Amino acid sequence: MSVIYLMFIAGAVASLLLYKFQKAAAYIGFGIPAAASLYGIWFFFANLTGTTELVVQFPVMAAKFTLDPLGAFFSLVISLVGFAASVYGIHYAEEYRESVSIGAMGFFFNLFMVFMLMVVSASHVFWFMVFWELMTLASFFLIHFNDSEKTSKATILYMVIAHVGGAAILAGMLLMSSAAGSFYFQDFKGVGVAPVMATVMFLLFFFGFGSKAGVFPIHVWLPEAHPAAPSHVSALMSAVMIKTAIYGIIRTCMWLPLNEWWGIMIIVFGALSALLGVLYALTQHDTKALLAYHSVENIGIILLGCGVGFYGMATGNAILAAAGFIGGLYHVINHATFKGLLFLGAGSVIFRTHTKDMEILGGLGRKMPLTAFAFLIGAMAISALPPLNGFVSEWFTYQSLIQAALGSGVAGTIIFTMAIVALALTGVLAVMCFVKVYSVIFTGTPRDEKIWEHAKESPVLMVAGMFVLVAACVALGLGAPYAATKIIGVITYITGSGFDAAAGISVKAVSGSVVSPVLITIIFVSMIFVPIIFTMVFKDSTSTMRTTKPWACGAKYSSRMQITASPFTGFLRQTMNWLYRSEVHFEETNGYFGKVKYSSHAKDIWWDIIYVPIIKGFSGLSQMLSVIQNGRMQIYASYVLIMLAVFIILAIFG
Amino acid sequence: MKSSDILYLIIQVIAIILISPLLDGIKRIMLAKFQSRRGPADVFQTYRDIIKLFKRSETMPECGTWVFRTAPYLMFAIMATVIAVLPIMHSGSALSAAADLFLIVYLFALMRFIFGVASVDSGNPFAGIGGSREQMVALFVEPTIILSSVVVVFLAGGLTNLVEIKNFVSSPQILKVLPVFIFSGVAFLFATYVETGKKPFDVAEAEQEIQEGLLAEYAGKRLALAHGALILKQIAIVGLFITIYIPWPVVGNPFVSLVLFLIKLLVFYYFASFVEGVSTRLRIGDTRLAASGAFALAFISLILFVIGRV
Repeated sequence: MSVIYLMFIAGAVASLLLYKFQKAAAYIGFGIPAAASLYGIWFFFANLTGTTELVVQFPVMAAKFTLDPLGAFFSLVISLVGFAASVYGIHYAEEYRESVSIGAMGFFFNLFMVFMLMVVSASHVFWFMVFWELMTLASFFLIHFNDSEKTSKATILYMVIAHVGGAAILAGMLLMSSAAGSFYFQDFKGVGVAPVMATVMFLLFFFGFGSKAGVFPIHVWLPEAHPAAPSHVSALMSAVMIKTAIYGIIRTCMWLPLNEWWGIMIIVFGALSALLGVLYALTQHDTKALLAYHSVENIGIILLGCGVGFYGMATGNAILAAAGFIGGLYHVINHATFKGLLFLGAGSVIFRTHTKDMEILGGLGRKMPLTAFAFLIGAMAISALPPLNGFVSEWFTYQSLIQAALGSGVAGTIIFTMAIVALALTGVLAVMCFVKVYSVIFTGTPRDEKIWEHAKESPVLMVAGMFVLVAACVALGLGAPYAATKIIGVITYITGSGFDAAAGISVKAVSGSVVSPVLITIIFVSMIFVPIIFTMVFKDSTSTMRTTKPWACGAKYSSRMQITASPFTGFLRQTMNWLYRSEVHFEETNGYFGKVKYSSHAKDIWWDIIYVPIIKGFSGLSQMLSVIQNGRMQIYASYVLIMLAVFIILAIFG
Repeated sequence: MKSSDILYLIIQVIAIILISPLLDGIKRIMLAKFQSRRGPADVFQTYRDIIKLFKRSETMPECGTWVFRTAPYLMFAIMATVIAVLPIMHSGSALSAAADLFLIVYLFALMRFIFGVASVDSGNPFAGIGGSREQMVALFVEPTIILSSVVVVFLAGGLTNLVEIKNFVSSPQILKVLPVFIFSGVAFLFATYVETGKKPFDVAEAEQEIQEGLLAEYAGKRLALAHGALILKQIAIVGLFITIYIPWPVVGNPFVSLVLFLIKLLVFYYFASFVEGVSTRLRIGDTRLAASGAFALAFISLILFVIGRV
């Protein structure tokens, strides 16, 4: 464990020393974390069961790291995506050669990786909070490598919400440690806490960590900050960093005496995040903002699974808890792989086209076939299409929700069933969204010839980085029984009991239902032969294939005729306008024959409903406080005198 | 693993694929009669149409990538997979890992995904609109499909395996929960009808419409395969309905089961043709209203289930 942490720190130092040599910095600054992550994958996988401890003696107090199965699982997820992102980063850093110091970027990248790993293994309140904040800080600097006005706004929003969340977590942790009389995590388990106090702590933890995870309604920073970062960092932030918050929720809830309504509350927030996340994603033109909204959606899906887990723990049904957590934790690693993959794919497109606006792309599949293929796999996995990995975890989540619904009262059954419907709707909308993203970027005719002409396949290491995650998506889908068994091992550590999640080539739910991605793939592949045989039987030797322009009712075809991203979701936006409240601008320039400008932009209305009043309240409060601090030197001097007088009086009479 | 199950699976899928154009031909004649038209000359018209298409030469839009080229094969294979795993002839446990309710629902999603990408890939303006509408129709019916089938899953004790659901529904226990079952069945029936792409929600035969519009750029053998895939899709979705909601009468002989399945399919087609023959096309927005009604029915079945359990 210490070796991995030290490798990252060495990578950070080496990268900083090479700040004058851009090319070397890219190879060293991202090569070392790649090696460290690769070793990490092996190490954390081998340590998925059992606990490793590491104590680092600092002058004032010792930092204690405990890598238990839960921590090891999240460390494995971090290393897996970290490996792909580092390999990808070696060539992707090229993009920043002119504008920034790659050495500095590598420095923060290494630190970001190691702080994330330390967060999931720290076992002391002080060190946990320190690394939590350092992780935020490292990602803050990484976002700033894309320097623009929009970036500053995004990072300020990010910092504010991260700190409010951090304060909530700190408050919860301090309450916990005062109840336990210790700062070490191992003493927190099973501490008797009054129900009211427990609820306060739970809410502090849920919303504190939720702010980092991007749970609705604290999701607003996510679609601003994630797209602003360089793509391999976006991949890490969206795929991995927000998972540390899920880790936090699970870890802290293990300490508290759980209440079943908390589980239901998590389910409700999960369902809301999932649905609203995907609905807002559908309206985006910016590829990376769209993917960021999908992170909100997937965090919602993870919370659906984990919510059932907490519900099961609260009702003392350890088997149901295990059923819920396997959906949640399996989706944690799945979301990490396909979201990482999609961000890297989006990064490759930006690398070659220098635009995030998908409306002016198109036809890139012919120029960048490998990127297109990788992105397609990612899109299919995130849409939960069998036999890829997203399907397996959503299947587990469905199964756990069904079990929870069967075992609860009237209100519980209806809530859990509606969560199933929400999950199904999320699936349909995700399919719609990724049909849009993939086809608008990679298929059809180019909408901007100039961009298309200059596009070409990305450099080899970027492609390699993406294909690492493609392999992970396929392996986690087809190798589901093996992966599920491993995850059940982790869950047994959380809940105290597990169940047999694999039967031969199938994965098995608690109810005994089985599903097998391998079997369905075998059937599907054999079915492919049926149409091939048909074409061979009915083959007509005289036929030749003609390539033509697409049919346009006899008119001359123009690439502007094909559908773009906004019309693809046009009807949906019309139907859902009660939610989107689109701002429509319609502008006729220059008389009858002139061009007409039309634009419609969907708003995240929660910003106006929740955040604007808070911001206004705070600025009003600051206005009031400005009476005390009005910028006049004389007033400040008088404060000093008054204070002095007060102390003298106290000293004399006190 | 029983080898007879695998044998029956192969017989079942091959038989249905080969019969499917015949079923389509019968359906076309039924619809024509309801509309007082003459219709195709005989029930074998769809065979002739498809074979003719196979022999025609192909055109391909210049912008089509490999997704466009392989999509008809993939769509055909996906729908054949769904038909293969439906427990019609085989009912053993060997294939239960492939006959899962959610797996089948997501295989339909996979079909929609590939269909949608291929439609935009063609570069054709109509295909793109069709692709978008196909997704919207799915959005309207999917909640109903999931909710009504999950209620049956609840009745069956939480098992999502189609074989188990079928066994439960065909057992006498179903009589105790008949109201729940009927409400959920009616809701599912509505969703099935919409998914088959008929008036008033879609006009499958028309170019520039939801289902066929997506095929605007296909020609020759790929068009034939895509047509075949759509015919199979109709059979698959109706087959899912029949498997869950009308498993009676239960017979041991697999070949009799297959014949019974085909008869039930034709009965569905008969009534569907009647509805199609007498209704006029709704705008896509009106589909939403009808879909909310079906969702309400499914929700009633859930409430009845919850009340019945208390």
